[in-house]
Amino acid sequence: MSTLQESLRHFLAVEGVRTAALIDVATGMIVRSVGKPDPDLAATAACVADEARAARNALGAGHPAGDLVEITAVTGSRLQLSKVLPGPPGEGLLLFVDLERAKSNVGLASLRIGQLAPAVLA
Amino acid sequence: METTEAADGRLGVGLRQYAAARFSGVLRVDGQPGGAIYLVDGGISACQTSGAPSLEVILLRSGRVAESDWNTAFTEAAIAERPMTAELVERGLLGAGEVEALLRIALADAMFALTCGHVDSWTETPAADYLLPLDPAARAGWLLAEASRRRQMLASFPAPLVSAADRIAVAPASVLPGRALGHGQDEILALVDGRRTPRDLAFALGQGLYETMLQLTRMRASNTVVISSRGQAHAPPGPAGPTAGDEEHDETPGGLPRRRRDRPGSSRAGGTSRRSFAANIRMLRPRSEGELPRETP
Repeated sequence: MSTLQESLRHFLAVEGVRTAALIDVATGMIVRSVGKPDPDLAATAACVADEARAARNALGAGHPAGDLVEITAVTGSRLQLSKVLPGPPGEGLLLFVDLERAKSNVGLASLRIGQLAPAVLA
Repeated sequence: METTEAADGRLGVGLRQYAAARFSGVLRVDGQPGGAIYLVDGGISACQTSGAPSLEVILLRSGRVAESDWNTAFTEAAIAERPMTAELVERGLLGAGEVEALLRIALADAMFALTCGHVDSWTETPAADYLLPLDPAARAGWLLAEASRRRQMLASFPAPLVSAADRIAVAPASVLPGRALGHGQDEILALVDGRRTPRDLAFALGQGLYETMLQLTRMRASNTVVISSRGQAHAPPGPAGPTAGDEEHDETPGGLPRRRRDRPGSSRAGGTSRRSFAANIRMLRPRSEGELPRETP
């Protein structure tokens, strides 16, 4: 059993989670994913990686306000959280979690995912 | 990239057949850049190619793992006859999840480099040890799809790089003094000298080939760098497929050459053996001497 898949599966226990994926920011590649099969996930991952790069750009040179921690996107039916996982070389890895908006709460989901996130790369 | 489709197509078809046959062994791929693909039960556990930096190069050049720590872990792993990945995790140098993630990223990059090049032929050889195997191995279909996605992404730019062998130069008056580009582009720009190729830059920086090509393509689109000379075009692909000693093998019902049981070195990729670890100790040489950046004249 893949260590990554095992740790990502813990996110599926959070209320409303449809998919959890680990994304390489530099390439936009899905390293591992769990949850409901989504044919658009590869394209979504590439877009999420671009968003992280754009958000870092917006923080300005030297990131005076600190490095990027999390990006939240809310649509009519979905809530998407992308959390930066510190450690790996290069532009790093993103933990991407896609939730049903009707079953989730932004603050609570962020808190629960933040609690589980450090175990993904451990 | 004239030969990209052909190389990927022939090798891709072969890899899918090996996956279906649950093949274990090493495919020695002749071509440019060529390399070796390690398969375990049809999955791909490692890919070694001079076209992309290995995880070892990436970890050391990026400073993620200190060289002294790596040397100690390497020696201890050899003495204890345990996998290097387990040693890195045990010593707290990397997390178990991080090792798997980085191995998958490095493997996808190596397969991208291999399939972007030219494949003449490949030869089956018995399973062999590899320093940093991915366990569990990755599906061949996933790796081929990812390599295809990367080529499509590069091709989507108005002025895409043609190959990893293009030589890159700084565009005249491209960057104002004191202006930071960000996203690692400043580090790339510092190494661009009109002679280095994307491959050379990837090795020098300790980052993936595709990541480097993507950044250079973006920099070219923003007129930060230019191509000083095109890489040598690949020769048209000849018939690719298993060669070199095919006569020695019986064929499986699926048409794949059958490996003989009495051949030496039949341990599985990723496995450990006393002999290989003893050889590792004897070969405590400067690491990856074959993978150092090749400076073009």
